[in-house]
Amino acid sequence: MKPGGVLLEAEGLVRRYEMRRGFFGRAVEVRAVDGVSLRLERGRTLGLVGESGCGKSTTGRLVLGMESPDAGRVSFEGALMPEPGSTAWRGLRARMQMVFQDPLGALDRRLPIATQIAEPLEIHGIGGTLERAGRVEALLRAVGLRPDQGLRYPHELSGGQRQRAVLARALATDPALLVCDEPISALDVSIQAQVMNLLLDLQEQFGTAMLFVSHDLRAVRQVSHRVAVMYLGRIVEEGEPDAVLHEPAHPYSRALVSAIPHPGRSGQRIVLQGDPPNPADRPSGCAFHPRCPVATSLCAREAPVLKQRTDGRLIACHVAHGEVTPGHGFTRQEAA
Amino acid sequence: MPEAPLVVAATTAPPKRRRAAPPALVIFGMVWLVLMLAIAILADVIAPYAYTALDLRNRLSPPIFLGGSWIHPLGTDELGRDVLSRLIYSIRTSLLIAFGATIIGAAVGTSLGFLAAHFRGFVEQAVLALVDFSASLPFLILALAVLAFFGNSLVLLVCLLGLHAWERYARIARGLALSAGAQGYAAAVRGLGASPWRIYGRHVLPNIASTLIVSMTLAFPEVILLESGLSFLGLGVQPPETSLGSMVGYGREYLTRAPWILLAPASTIVLTTLSVSLIGDWLRDGLDPTLR
Amino acid sequence: MLRFIASRFARAALTIAMVVTFAFIVLRLSGDPAQIIMGADAPPEAVDAFRTAWGLDEPLWVQYFSYFWAILQGDLGRSMRDGRDAIVLVTERIPATLALTLPALAIKICLGIPAGIYAALHRNSLADRIVMIIAVAGFTVPSFVLGLLLVLVFAVQLGWLPSGGQESWRHGILPVITLGLGGAAVLARFTRSAMLEVLGQPYIRTASAKGAPWRAVVTGHALPNAAIPTVTIIGFMVGTLIAGAVVVESVFSWPGVGRLLVVAVANRDLAVVQCILLLVAITMVCANLIVDLLYGLLDPRLRAAPRKAA
Repeated sequence: MKPGGVLLEAEGLVRRYEMRRGFFGRAVEVRAVDGVSLRLERGRTLGLVGESGCGKSTTGRLVLGMESPDAGRVSFEGALMPEPGSTAWRGLRARMQMVFQDPLGALDRRLPIATQIAEPLEIHGIGGTLERAGRVEALLRAVGLRPDQGLRYPHELSGGQRQRAVLARALATDPALLVCDEPISALDVSIQAQVMNLLLDLQEQFGTAMLFVSHDLRAVRQVSHRVAVMYLGRIVEEGEPDAVLHEPAHPYSRALVSAIPHPGRSGQRIVLQGDPPNPADRPSGCAFHPRCPVATSLCAREAPVLKQRTDGRLIACHVAHGEVTPGHGFTRQEAA
Repeated sequence: MPEAPLVVAATTAPPKRRRAAPPALVIFGMVWLVLMLAIAILADVIAPYAYTALDLRNRLSPPIFLGGSWIHPLGTDELGRDVLSRLIYSIRTSLLIAFGATIIGAAVGTSLGFLAAHFRGFVEQAVLALVDFSASLPFLILALAVLAFFGNSLVLLVCLLGLHAWERYARIARGLALSAGAQGYAAAVRGLGASPWRIYGRHVLPNIASTLIVSMTLAFPEVILLESGLSFLGLGVQPPETSLGSMVGYGREYLTRAPWILLAPASTIVLTTLSVSLIGDWLRDGLDPTLR
Repeated sequence: MLRFIASRFARAALTIAMVVTFAFIVLRLSGDPAQIIMGADAPPEAVDAFRTAWGLDEPLWVQYFSYFWAILQGDLGRSMRDGRDAIVLVTERIPATLALTLPALAIKICLGIPAGIYAALHRNSLADRIVMIIAVAGFTVPSFVLGLLLVLVFAVQLGWLPSGGQESWRHGILPVITLGLGGAAVLARFTRSAMLEVLGQPYIRTASAKGAPWRAVVTGHALPNAAIPTVTIIGFMVGTLIAGAVVVESVFSWPGVGRLLVVAVANRDLAVVQCILLLVAITMVCANLIVDLLYGLLDPRLRAAPRKAA
């Protein structure tokens, strides 16, 4: 499978939840995902980065069809995503898989991991018993585990080994798409690098497309061909990883990038003012404006649209597109 | 290598673990239970008489240790029926009923719990309402009411007794299915494309089996006590069948003249319930001390 | 807070409605009530007359509503045996039952709770082991066995106390002891495990590490927290004040509600059975309601507003 070519398209995804504040409070609508569109290409990785609560995990689930969007649609290989739980959806699982943050929770503690790696093959009726055993062995090797480790139980393995087992299981049916939701956050730093390299190797070997969801900008940069930055349920910037990392255009991306510790780098660390984002209490206009150092009154009124800049970068910001002269932050301007 | 702390839903106890040797009391309980099971299975072989056989010449004869003879080692009742034989058959009846009831209760309760966890919404509310309903009536009253309305049959009795603790299994099944489903292995297997049958049958059920078995072991003596209570009142097992409770009920009139008629079944009830309770407590402490 | 109370009341009302519906369904399912009540060899005209008299020829949902309405008005039918109103028959027996269950409840609480607390505080001591043995005995020895044993010892062998009937206050001693001991054992076991669970909590260790005297730690922290689950069990026992003595009343021929129920079941006197069923359910639901409301008072965590997870 050569890379390139559209594998999955998501348009205008919206996902709402209802929360009730207290006994007598009104029901408050929380928009976890508010109009996200993205495109995944065969054999390529899209990194989705943002802080907790920005909706990236929900986006990952919507992309896989594990939840139905309240608005917008997802189409995979040209066909619309079927309803979660339906027979068509179940069959489609062989083509797309998810890797979770917590490998121990994702594995059944009563079964040895070889059995669990073989399970997708059983579910989708792929191969006879002998072929399955052979495939399981090949998968174990591909993820860097020894075949004898296949007989172990999940709790007998280390965190890194477990995540490898989960990867092996996810790749059992040779899916075209892998959604990784914070796959390395729960691992030791030294193991993180190994698993990251493993992901890259597997992509090269199997040609799997990936949606890599994480809050760690450096990790995302390492594996992704494209990066999208999310804030409060919307994509605020999208572009090549190196470009976004070295020249972030959106004020939020700039703050994120400046927060990455870098030995010997001089330069200002941007500290954002204001409250952390709360999806239940969405600011008017641009969701980022209360914390933005260059916000203007336009930013408080109108929500910016994700548009392409001349150099190909997608940004959702009035200031970055030059539509308005940079302000001094909305709260300060208010006071002034 | 130290790991970053993980948020883990399930306990990390390994599935296979050698238990420490059980304490003496538990061993006694196990021995007694095995004895009772053997008696129940071999009843036809070891009972000296049929449980309805009359020996009118030897009515109300005392047991061996009170001056009786070996013809009737545990004495006879007012109709000359051999107490030992009746005891043996009663053990079989009571154990059969208790086993059947426990299994029925566990099956019904677990299924309802799974249904509630899987479908959520209205189904879950309905199951919870049923739980409320069960909790609103002491089981004995409920059982008596149903027996009054439907009359007496062994099948009805077993089903009724089985339902006395169904909500415990439902609660366990629902709780564990929910936690497995939300972030755990059940969600992962669903993501692999497994059908609900496969998820619950191959993954959730084996994982909750040990907790369910402990509950069943703890509910088993309750069934025995309930059945004996009902039979004692004359409303449980009906003649000619005999159970431990009904023996006590019949023996009651002869409490003054022939106490052995009810002492034998009464002590059997106590020892059997004690044995199963001890085993159940020990199993629970070994498997999951948070289960109270 | 108001919503909490209202929801609990609604739940209680719903449960009672379910019990009424249950009684109705079971009544109708158990075959033609007219046939059952009149007997198998009653002439068909008598059965028909009976059916019309009781409104059994109406469509089912009409019957259901008239049934509900009748109950709300307190009309629960007549006893088959002597034709008196079922509700009168039942209520006149309540004092006799309460004469047993109320003192028994006092015994259960005054004996069981202190025993359980003491056993928990002196874990693995001799006193603890004795309490545990008695508690297990209380659980495994059914009430009728205990009662009969007491009769055997005290009435038959020693001749101190009478064995049955309700002639004098002395007749009540053995039944009350039988009821009380069994319940005390259950309560002791429960209180002990509740206390042990609380004592194992980190905040108890912290409190005593801060230098508070052990006594203050127990009374200030352990007891109040262990009280919460214990209240549930006591609530349950209060709920069974009317119905909890069925077996004991039969053992001692005590003319209370329990004995009436057993006789009614044997005679398939459905009106009486149904009446007792409803009465017991109402008592239980009220007791649970009070426990729930007490919970709201005792456990501050429950008073905080719950949030639906996003």
